[in-house]
Amino acid sequence: MPSFLRRLGWWLLVYIGLAWLPWVLSGYHTHVLTTSFYYVILAIGWHLLAGYTGQFSLAHHTFAGVGAYTSALLVQYAGVPLLIGIGAGVLCAAGLGYGLGTLCLRIRAIYLALATWAFAESIRLLITVEYQITRGDLGLRTPLFFRTPRPTPYYYLFLGLALVAIWVAWELVHSRIGTYLRAIRDDEEAAATMGIDTFKWKRFTFAVSAIFAAVAGGFQGHYVGLLSPTPMKFNEMAMIVIMVIVGGLRTFPGPIVGAIFIELLSEFLRAWGELRMVLFALLVMVVARGYPGGLVGLCQAAAQRLAGWSPALGLLLTPRRLEE
Amino acid sequence: MALLEVDGIVAGYVTGIDILNGLRLRVEPGTITGIIGPNGAGKSTLLKTIFGFLHPRQGSIVFDGRALQRLSPHTIKRLGISYAPQGTNIFPHLTVQENLQLGAWVFRRRRPQVTECLERAYSAFPRLREKRRWRATALSGGEAKMLSVAKEHITHPSLLLVDEPSAGLAPRVAQQVYAQLLQARAQGVTILLVDQNISKAVEISDYLYMLEMGQVRHEGPRQAFTDHLRTLIRDALLGV
Repeated sequence: MPSFLRRLGWWLLVYIGLAWLPWVLSGYHTHVLTTSFYYVILAIGWHLLAGYTGQFSLAHHTFAGVGAYTSALLVQYAGVPLLIGIGAGVLCAAGLGYGLGTLCLRIRAIYLALATWAFAESIRLLITVEYQITRGDLGLRTPLFFRTPRPTPYYYLFLGLALVAIWVAWELVHSRIGTYLRAIRDDEEAAATMGIDTFKWKRFTFAVSAIFAAVAGGFQGHYVGLLSPTPMKFNEMAMIVIMVIVGGLRTFPGPIVGAIFIELLSEFLRAWGELRMVLFALLVMVVARGYPGGLVGLCQAAAQRLAGWSPALGLLLTPRRLEE
Repeated sequence: MALLEVDGIVAGYVTGIDILNGLRLRVEPGTITGIIGPNGAGKSTLLKTIFGFLHPRQGSIVFDGRALQRLSPHTIKRLGISYAPQGTNIFPHLTVQENLQLGAWVFRRRRPQVTECLERAYSAFPRLREKRRWRATALSGGEAKMLSVAKEHITHPSLLLVDEPSAGLAPRVAQQVYAQLLQARAQGVTILLVDQNISKAVEISDYLYMLEMGQVRHEGPRQAFTDHLRTLIRDALLGV
């Protein structure tokens, strides 16, 4: 597969291209970038489900929490190595995602959002209430992945994870399966008349997006060193939705651009506190009303306008298939 | 032996309300079988039940010696039955090419064969080749219908279920669609056709069923229907 190798080469180049950043940035800025990579993985995973398959789930942040808690508890009580703990968390989240997908097979649109939200709240409350095991709101200490809280090694880890997540999503979306998913989003009944097993692929996507979240959550848990049920609140899900919508729903780069943009903006405006959510909410409304393609859509429109002025520049700026 | 045998099926969307009440019909291979009847007679429900969107509460559906009544649509599709619902059956956000590939992929995972299927479809509908990179939303009504037909074409069904092929189309386009159906029959495809357009259905069908209240009211070869066309239309319109 030469094209496969070529793409692998491109990803390695991107990795190297971004690898120098911690050398010039302060620890704080490296931490912010690391966190934005964490959100890139979450946003990409949710976008597979909500953007490509049209299943507007509100339980994505829960799977990150499930990944983190499963790993932390296994490491704490069973003393397993960190990587095995994270692996177990991913498996557990995949199973739960598959189960949630099965429950939601016949539920659509707003009812799906409500059902997944109820699921998310139940899991969060379960973790809060079972404090003898999870320490609830007191917080659960987790061993650090690199035995140091310094962000630089984690930057390399999350950069790698984010690139792998983007790559996997890209391969998935541009394969036969990706077309099935978009067909299901467009018209589920028509997809079934084409011979697509809609139940199978919906469950599959629920499980895959849960895996994305759990990988991110699992590693993140061993980076921050302290787990609490707070990031499993609805706020966190709202952030993911905001990132994807501001970045550009139903465009491939949308979740990536949105996650980095919103995370950086959010840190930049840290002094605003909770007021940031108001700003983000307004931003989402403006984007939804005026620029449904989000930041990516805006860039594409600008590139097309430039292409009108100078065809050579346009060729450079409009790659073959940015959209979807 | 009949290609499709529907025997005594009872089906409906809600428990307690049966749309089909012990309906029985046979579709002979290589023919067009027409189904006519007033609104609410259960014509579309019958097709949905055959294709597995609804499971009958009683009765059996046998296709080519296999019972269908407990299978789901994607399995039924793999057995060689295609279902063309009312309106256009295309995915607006996919490109024309992706729409066609979707039809081919489900059957043949091997790339050369898929390419060959696509080629055949493009030579049958050259307009679609020109627009293959376009989103399907950008097609005109007639082109969209062509794409729907081409998509069914690509899957080589042995039985085609067609619901209201002419609804919402300009007469000239509708004419083309009926010509497609006759051509498909000439290639050996068996067709079960549901149509509001009674005179057209009688014209192209070899055998007809007239439904009423989820049961067969009349059946017979085309000849028997052409003789009473006027009475049939009046009955269907008035629903008596």
